[in-house]
Amino acid sequence: MTADTGQERQAAAQLRERVARQFGRSLHIRTLDTGSCAACEQEIRLLAAPHYDLHRLGFFFTPAPRHADLLMVTGPMIRAFDVAARKTFEAMPGPKIVIATGACALGGVYPADAFTHGGVGEILPVDVWIPGCPPSPLALLQGLLLAVDRLAEKAASLTFIADSPPEEVPG
Amino acid sequence: MPLWFIRGLRRGVVTTRYPARPEPSAASLPTPPAFRAERLNADLADRLGRVCPSRALRREEDVLIFDVGACTACGRCREAAPEAVTASGEFELAATARARLVKRIPLPREARP
Repeated sequence: MTADTGQERQAAAQLRERVARQFGRSLHIRTLDTGSCAACEQEIRLLAAPHYDLHRLGFFFTPAPRHADLLMVTGPMIRAFDVAARKTFEAMPGPKIVIATGACALGGVYPADAFTHGGVGEILPVDVWIPGCPPSPLALLQGLLLAVDRLAEKAASLTFIADSPPEEVPG
Repeated sequence: MPLWFIRGLRRGVVTTRYPARPEPSAASLPTPPAFRAERLNADLADRLGRVCPSRALRREEDVLIFDVGACTACGRCREAAPEAVTASGEFELAATARARLVKRIPLPREARP
């Protein structure tokens, strides 16, 4: 999404404000496993452990999509999960946020074929993408805080170009 | 339980900041690669594309396309070309647009004979 015109930017700012007001500082998360290897689930589970303590930041897990503000989707979105994914998303009250979690969900590991859609973005409107295989609990926390606009995005400014150490001669 | 509730009400603090303190375990996380652009060339970029198991690397003309979202930080590219690929150390990579996770690494212009 690119906010090019002033009108669009203004609308985006208003929406952000509304989301912040409606979600406040508390947010309920529903996780959805669409065929992942469960490594992402292990990292998500660790968020509730005392070391990371997700609850101090106002996030909570809920077993019911009806109570959820945020859907955290892992896995490459297998086609067998189409109905369940749609029902889960539709059961959530608006405004809702969708986070694609892990390299599978971002379309990295499994290409689209007869069994998977090859990424969550093919089926659901994703708001935040969290790379990693699996993303560490810290990365997940940063993604969650980015989703509720409490932390700035870092990924856009990274180039992944490293400088050579000066003492080494290239070649 | 009621004691904690009263304590919370009295202090009035519901949440703490992220991160509450520097996280020492972050240093040992596997992270996506960073590339030493001046040591890359077209052949090496093609080779990196072939060793990548998750289709995160590919070459387009004189640019190496690195899809951070697809990267699983497996380290095979680093193993294949340790002189040109290092660990980036970045793990807080969440983005609000998928396209922002696709990085373009320019290859150095090759000297023509």
